[in-house]
Amino acid sequence: MTNTRIPAVRPAPAAARTAVAPARRGGRERGTRLLASLFLAPTIVGIVVFTVVPIAGSVVLSLFHWNVIDDPRWSGLANYRETFGDSTVLVSFRNTLVFMVLAVALQLLIALALALAVNGRMPVWLRSVFRSAFFFPLVLSAASVSVVMKYLFNQDFGVVNWLLGLVGISPVPWLTSEHGAMATVVLVYVWQQFGFSFLLFVGGLNNIPKEVHEAASLDGATGLRKHLHVTLPLLSPTLLVASVVGVINALQVFEQPYVLTDGGPGDSTRTVVMVIYETAFEQLRFGTASAVGVLLFVLIMAVTALQFRLSRRFVHYQ
Amino acid sequence: MTDSHLTRRALLRYGAYGAGAAALTGTAACWDRLTGADIPGRDDGSLVVATLGSAFDPAAVRALQEGFRRVHPDIGLRVNAVQAVDWSDFFAKILTQIAAGTAPDLVYVATEGVQLFAGQLGVPLDRWVRRDAAELREYFADVHPALVESMMYEGSLHQLPVEFNAADIYLNKQVLARAGTSLPPADWTRDDFTALLRRMKRSSDSHFTPYFWTNRLWGGVVPWLFANGTNLLAESKAPGGDWLWDTFYPAAERRGRGGGFRWTTPQATDDRVAEAYDYLASLIRDDLCTRPEGGNGSNLVGVFSTGRVGVTPAGGFWAGGLHLAGMKPADYDVQYFPRWRTQRMQFGAAGYAMLRTSTKQDQAWEFIKYAARKDTLTRLFRANQTTPARRSMLTADRYRESGPAHWQVFYDTLDRFPDTGPIPAPPQVAEVEQVLLKHTGTALASSGAVRPALRRMQDDLETAMERDA
Repeated sequence: MTNTRIPAVRPAPAAARTAVAPARRGGRERGTRLLASLFLAPTIVGIVVFTVVPIAGSVVLSLFHWNVIDDPRWSGLANYRETFGDSTVLVSFRNTLVFMVLAVALQLLIALALALAVNGRMPVWLRSVFRSAFFFPLVLSAASVSVVMKYLFNQDFGVVNWLLGLVGISPVPWLTSEHGAMATVVLVYVWQQFGFSFLLFVGGLNNIPKEVHEAASLDGATGLRKHLHVTLPLLSPTLLVASVVGVINALQVFEQPYVLTDGGPGDSTRTVVMVIYETAFEQLRFGTASAVGVLLFVLIMAVTALQFRLSRRFVHYQ
Repeated sequence: MTDSHLTRRALLRYGAYGAGAAALTGTAACWDRLTGADIPGRDDGSLVVATLGSAFDPAAVRALQEGFRRVHPDIGLRVNAVQAVDWSDFFAKILTQIAAGTAPDLVYVATEGVQLFAGQLGVPLDRWVRRDAAELREYFADVHPALVESMMYEGSLHQLPVEFNAADIYLNKQVLARAGTSLPPADWTRDDFTALLRRMKRSSDSHFTPYFWTNRLWGGVVPWLFANGTNLLAESKAPGGDWLWDTFYPAAERRGRGGGFRWTTPQATDDRVAEAYDYLASLIRDDLCTRPEGGNGSNLVGVFSTGRVGVTPAGGFWAGGLHLAGMKPADYDVQYFPRWRTQRMQFGAAGYAMLRTSTKQDQAWEFIKYAARKDTLTRLFRANQTTPARRSMLTADRYRESGPAHWQVFYDTLDRFPDTGPIPAPPQVAEVEQVLLKHTGTALASSGAVRPALRRMQDDLETAMERDA
């Protein structure tokens, strides 16, 4: 193979090179490092200002009582004690975990099934249509989608119950019964979110070499067996990424339950981020809200760490 | 060849140096705390008035500004229309502006926030009202004392009410005709109400809902609590306020008035409260009304105007909404809320609250007076999007185009039932409202859930009321 690189500096004679090399190398390294710092600085400043400082600020604020109007008052761990004694907060954590499990499982399952289907034999233009259609909900505003869905799922006047009525099914209290409300919130969320996992899976499937499938076929593997023992293991790194992103997003769900049910009936669809919003911006208890936020941060970190730990056993990179 | 690659450690170190230097420079540059007011162009010396974005349309806001400029050419005015889903959302955004250092001088505040603002942020208007008493006599003579009393807090007046809405009952006349009945009389009872819903249900298909209501503080469960002679929180009146009543109202009208409402001990487990919830649960069980959803009832206009709902509680604000939805004055009408143990009704009012952080309080007072003038309100409330606080503005001419035929009901709710009062809105209103909505949803979501839900509501209300607002 020919080397087509153009040397940055014309090579000096051997004697001169021996004499000047250390000094020149040192200067060049400093220049390179300076350049690297300049390139990195905007990103790092962004992360520090918009991520690290707010997180640190929340941790500090969680140790104070603050209602925006008066000066903050030191409260130590009182906000955390209050948080652990507040049944609404505890229920919201339970709801969020239930939501996360249901939503992520459904999202990955649907996205994977559709990615496999779209990756099968079909005209290229039809494949493009499906890809765009499945991704489209993701670019919509979650609040707008939820407003529309609220109309569709209304028990008395919604299109969904009207359609069910045509086949003799009596109206379902989609948004006004405890189990119905959670199921509807999950459905609406998954409908909007699965497009991201779908795109990841389509990319992952395209990266699996055809030869592997051909070899499996020659060995007699067909259909579901081939997918379970060949496709899934080779797709496992993509599955890990999709599940990590899915879990982090699901643990922060807000718009759908806020617009669709306002957390109700009762607390049945109240999520942690809703509690943070209500505590901070409606009840003006910013310290308590920060404490809940810190706990959610810890939960997200813990769940993500667990996923990476489990990935050592289930994810195959070759 | 030289090694031009950086080690990861070196890369991170130099990156951190760069970020640290930038962060330090930024912090040093803005050490003397910057606020939103420091943004060029934010503070041009104008009087800033924050209104709920959807309360007035752009033309109305323009009219408000131009009219004020004509009267006070020396005072610059900027109306900051804050978009929000409801009053609670609006107050949250105003408080965020205050925290950001961009507090307005005046805020349009409804009953839901009167005590929150009065207690923490507001300025009593007493000294200006006393000073300009002669000028204000005409205003108070035109405004029902119940509305004024709802704007008082611990003996002081904090706002001049400019609009209000009582929860009256709207009826679709097409549905009434289908049921073979007509507008109920003014003294109708809860049993008459139930019988009417049954007749409506019998004469309609399965997609019809006789009674629709939204789970919210105004117009949700509270009107039924009032009708049953109870309230969510024990209600009393603060002492004081005589200076205002004695100055502006004749003896007959000032009797029983005080220095504003106090809502204190929660009473969600009171038998009458449980009765009201049992009644609503029975309507749901008999398929006479919907399980209540939260929200602002935005889909209600559509389903009412197309005859899929027969009856709903709403205020004067709905006349404009139904007119815009294409309903003719003959298509609907309005009646008082039915009598149960009482026929006391609930209302919410709104006016401008002056913030104590304002440095232009005298100018702000001039705006408050201007905003309460009849000509100003006439320009502002052209579309019947609310009930004006001034009695003289409710005329046949105003409701000729939009209806309803019995438009007198809107103001007569106050005159005919003088004990009609504001929705319970203590300084802890945000949490109280949240608790009410949450447990109302649970109480009516399944059979047998009323009493357990009310017990939990009582516990949560007690916690909320113990908290420092």
